[in-house]
Amino acid sequence: MASSPLTNYLRKHRKRLGLSQDEVAFLLGTQSGTRVCRNERFVREPSLETALAYEVIFQQPIRELFRGLYRKIEKEVAARAGALAYRTRRQKPNRQTRRKHQVLDRIINKPDDET
Amino acid sequence: MKNHPPQPFRLLALALSSKGLGFAVLEGRATLADWGNKLVTGDKNAGALKKVSELIAHYEPDMLVLPATNTPGSRRSARIRKLGEALVTLAATHKLKTRLLTREQLMREFITGDQERTKHALAECLAGRYPEELGDRLPPKRRPWKSEDYRMDIFEAVALALACRLRQDRRRKPGPTKQRGA
Repeated sequence: MASSPLTNYLRKHRKRLGLSQDEVAFLLGTQSGTRVCRNERFVREPSLETALAYEVIFQQPIRELFRGLYRKIEKEVAARAGALAYRTRRQKPNRQTRRKHQVLDRIINKPDDET
Repeated sequence: MKNHPPQPFRLLALALSSKGLGFAVLEGRATLADWGNKLVTGDKNAGALKKVSELIAHYEPDMLVLPATNTPGSRRSARIRKLGEALVTLAATHKLKTRLLTREQLMREFITGDQERTKHALAECLAGRYPEELGDRLPPKRRPWKSEDYRMDIFEAVALALACRLRQDRRRKPGPTKQRGA
């Protein structure tokens, strides 16, 4: 059962704007649409530079364009934040550790965005 | 209170035609995630099944929505009827739920009052609902001596997906509760 968003929504936004893969590739500064095609088919993850270029082209934040990938990373970071929070709870409580716990709790308990 | 099963998140709807198929992927309440045509040549049914398998692998839908091709009085060709049956089997092999909707059900969902119950009226309605996605895909009204535009399959697929979602929403909505003393 698929209840999670797609890795990315590049194809949707490209079609919405009526652009071809070659045209997007030109805007990204690459030779052909092959790389765009690979990104759209989730075969290859784009570099940070390319991801930012997609944000410029489609006028959508990266977390929306790569919603599935964002959710996956968000979960992984939350799991690590849980481990770090467990570790820091054993430290001597002071202002700095209290601040740290607030930050980590915010990461762990981040409510899911509605789709 | 009745517990409803969780609503399928992603729907893949397919419109079958003589040229190939149109598809639409609907997510959440009514967000179009993808839409388009797959043109097939040669062994059309085998080609169409291959394309649908690719779509299922890519989008991992929860449900497949298809036009009902085997209802009594349906005027779909023998090839399309066979393809419809094969797609239901394909969905079963991928453990996907399947919904079949008739043309009548589609028209009832989108066309009200005295409006013409034509595919073009349906497409106009959907182009109005999704102006950014489908607005520039709306083909001109078909002349009687011309064959149907291939882009019409996209509208039919979107209509299937959206109609399925609207029917699910209606079923999940609690009915009017009786008030005491009324």
